[in-house]
Amino acid sequence: MGESRRAFLLATARAAGVSAPVLGLLAGREAAARSEGRDLEILSAALLLEHHAIALYGHGLKRSLFPPGLRAYATEFRGDHQGHRDTQIAIIEERGAAAPAARDDYDFGHAPAGDAFVRLALEIEIAAQRAYTGLISAIRTDDYLLSAAFILVDEVRHMTVWQRVLGLRIY
Amino acid sequence: MIARRTALKTVLAAPLVAGVSRADARDYASAGEVIAEIDRLEGELDARLARLAATFPAAASFARSVRADHERHRRARGALRRRLRVAEPPPVPVPAGGASVDALRALAQDLVHAHAEGLPALRDAQAVDTLARHMVDDARHLAVLQMWLETEQPGG
Repeated sequence: MGESRRAFLLATARAAGVSAPVLGLLAGREAAARSEGRDLEILSAALLLEHHAIALYGHGLKRSLFPPGLRAYATEFRGDHQGHRDTQIAIIEERGAAAPAARDDYDFGHAPAGDAFVRLALEIEIAAQRAYTGLISAIRTDDYLLSAAFILVDEVRHMTVWQRVLGLRIY
Repeated sequence: MIARRTALKTVLAAPLVAGVSRADARDYASAGEVIAEIDRLEGELDARLARLAATFPAAASFARSVRADHERHRRARGALRRRLRVAEPPPVPVPAGGASVDALRALAQDLVHAHAEGLPALRDAQAVDTLARHMVDDARHLAVLQMWLETEQPGG
């Protein structure tokens, strides 16, 4: 991963509240040892990214910041992220741990409307896709590995749709 | 299995995988089985995509891009096979079949699912990393085909 892409991913993950050990994994500073504890760290990090995405989409839909023709996509993608959130919470709780709650200090107050807001949605999707791709090989348990794979597929769809909408290259 | 059921029950609420039930989700027994299924689906998708491109020139650049990705994936899987000591099965003939966008979308979805459902059977972190990255490319191809269906034309 290039330095600028890594910096972008780390900045987004940090803004979502991702913990230092997983930031170290994403930065390539920590070895990806597979363990139950590492699975929980990754689950928590993924959940925080989902919380962040849900909050961003919710803000954009509530304030009508998505272009009118794209509200259906935004609504669908928010629903996907809510499904991902519920999956992560179910897996974390099944392992007897406490799932981290969403932050209460997301600051989207200066978020612009129109294509610029779609670009913000694209950025969180890119960060989620890179995070899942970078962390998936460190997952130990089959159940979570399978879930993470399907979630990753959804993130790629979201990313590709927004890239297409913004006229960016998709193939 | 409780954990897997819980996970799948929730994640299957997502639109992309709505057509997959727990009973449909395939359990692969080995890395060799996973790679063989990916080989088969990928070859069929490439062949059918080439047929579509012959009919709709607008699909040609997409077909070229997909084929280039798949050639790269095949080389990486070859290296994986050697490292994991997995025997290469004889090539499977590509069946005749439709090259409609919907048929291609269904095939592309099967290919993505083969990657996703195959990851747990690999039992090797490096192999998971490699096939997950391939899956990201294949999921992007699938998203393009889904968008074509929404606009009802290749390149739309």
